[in-house]
Amino acid sequence: MFFSWDYLFQGFATALSWQNLFWALVGSLLGTLVGVLPGIGPTSGIAILLPVTTFLPPTPAIIMMAAIYYGAMYGGSTTAIVVNIPGESASVPTALDGYELAKQGRAGPALGISAISSFVAGTLSLVGLTFFAPVLASVALAFGPPEYFALMFMGLSLVISLSQRALLKGLIATAIGLLASTIGQDPLTGDVRLTFGSEELIAGVSFISVIIGLFAIGEVMVNVERAVTHIYEHKKLEWIPRWADIKQCWGTMLRSSVIGFFLGLLPGCAPSVTVFVAYDVEKRISKHPERFGKGAMEGVAAPEGANNATVSGCFVPLFAFGLPTGPAMAVLLGGLMMYGLQPGPMLFKENPQFVWAVIASMYIGNVILLVLNLPLVGMWARIALIPFPILGPLIVVFSIIGAYSVRYLVFDIWVALIFGVVGYLMRKLGFPMAPMVLATVLAQMLESSFQQSLLISHGSFLIFFNRPIAAVFMALAFLSIGRGIWLEFRDRGLEVAEEEKD
Amino acid sequence: MSQMRTQRAGDIVAGIFFSLLGVFVVWAAFGIKGAPDMRMHPRTLPLILGWAVGIAGGILAFHAWRYRGPARIVPWPDRVGTLRVGVTLAALVVFLFLVEPLGMPLGSGLLVGFLVWYLGRYRPIFAGLLGLATGGVIYAVFIQLLQLSFPIGPLGR
Repeated sequence: MFFSWDYLFQGFATALSWQNLFWALVGSLLGTLVGVLPGIGPTSGIAILLPVTTFLPPTPAIIMMAAIYYGAMYGGSTTAIVVNIPGESASVPTALDGYELAKQGRAGPALGISAISSFVAGTLSLVGLTFFAPVLASVALAFGPPEYFALMFMGLSLVISLSQRALLKGLIATAIGLLASTIGQDPLTGDVRLTFGSEELIAGVSFISVIIGLFAIGEVMVNVERAVTHIYEHKKLEWIPRWADIKQCWGTMLRSSVIGFFLGLLPGCAPSVTVFVAYDVEKRISKHPERFGKGAMEGVAAPEGANNATVSGCFVPLFAFGLPTGPAMAVLLGGLMMYGLQPGPMLFKENPQFVWAVIASMYIGNVILLVLNLPLVGMWARIALIPFPILGPLIVVFSIIGAYSVRYLVFDIWVALIFGVVGYLMRKLGFPMAPMVLATVLAQMLESSFQQSLLISHGSFLIFFNRPIAAVFMALAFLSIGRGIWLEFRDRGLEVAEEEKD
Repeated sequence: MSQMRTQRAGDIVAGIFFSLLGVFVVWAAFGIKGAPDMRMHPRTLPLILGWAVGIAGGILAFHAWRYRGPARIVPWPDRVGTLRVGVTLAALVVFLFLVEPLGMPLGSGLLVGFLVWYLGRYRPIFAGLLGLATGGVIYAVFIQLLQLSFPIGPLGR
């Protein structure tokens, strides 16, 4: 895969043709609409809309699918901010601060920052994709199971230490999250675990249900109990971000672009991991880490930027090796193959016009989404004006649909309900929720990469420490655990998670 | 009574609950069968996690029991609040039992109608219309437009 200005300009020429522009616009619009619907994340969004693109020639079809993907990513953060329903794991950190901002009457600015950050990071990472793809792809290939395990282990320990003064509670939340995901089949051997003879439990617990329960249903229960009339405390609403907000988040956007893009190159490194890493980095380097979880604008900008940067990063292994790095990419790969295009090194040689047109169209798609989404911000933020006794039941129904449409199992709604109660109790008792969510999402990958590593090393744990990349991640993980324990012993007191404090 | 509402009491109860849960998981993990020649037995992870939850729960309870600082009150609901949460949860459970026979549009419509009436004390006709609208939108968007395989109930052919 070689870069050439000629190809890039040709790509722009193709992508800017009125037909391709039109389908990019339609894709962005459909994607945004689908992303706002509960339970339909980017993956199912593309999958559902894939048949719609069949009547098109390959180039506009793939341009449209990429636009749907981008659009769904934008749309997904909207529900996380406005009503605290993160439709997918990547929107969880956005909900942490975005919903707090919304409660303070600043849903508009939060949505605006989210759109701007997505645009900045999306565009920056596309520059990375354009110029450095070949070099980067070879780095990603150096990642084996031990590196993945070390990376995810680091991610988890970072998030546990995010809970700062509630280390023990963070640890319990993580362990419960991991336990919930071990229910069902062992990822490598297929042995049935902790099902207690129930057939429904064999399918396992879907992490989407866990997320929806913890956040959306748990929050609704808190509001039901208090008999609130509106979900936001402040009646006065702001519609657009202030210049100060944007200035404040500028560094965050740049940093999360870099983090999201480089981590996105790794096969298997989904946005759900990178957004947490970006969020954690911002919290650590911030002069006011205590504002995080209580409505920090950077807490919205970081995950949103990292999310879109990861998406661009994911395209590198997809185009260069034909390697889908996540479910959404796998569906896109299916789309490519439907048109007889086999991704991999040959794609760039045989169909350069196609590849570069798609890459160019992504730049354009980012602009379209910004232009499309900024005016919509006011409309979404107005949802807040609906009285809670009407909005609450609607959130519940949206959550139910979201949980159900993952696998079409009523069991998944039960799981969401149970975790709704768990989330309600966790809020009351000051348990942090982010570690539990990340643990549930990562559990399967964590365990299978661990088992594969041990297979490679014939059972020796040294494999995590004598490979340089893995060793760095492990060292960072232990450092962050050590720091957490030190902080825990420095000031003893009752544990209350920072993010849940009143 | 106010002593029961503190963070300390909550942590002790939660800690004890988690240690019991840990013991239960460890017990359950021993029941997991798997091939003995694997590098990692399928029960290893649940076993470690069971221990982790149990021990961390124990420490949490112990810490809280020894805590003598100023009391932090957990905002548990009063009787009215408890009733509201309880009725909402009960409505959800009833919904879950009825969703397959009634179908998603009808079931969701009834749920929204009931909750809007119960939580907001709106006039039944208004709540009913909202329920009807919810069911209609679900039917039109998710079943007709997106063709998702939702239970349709008596609305189906």
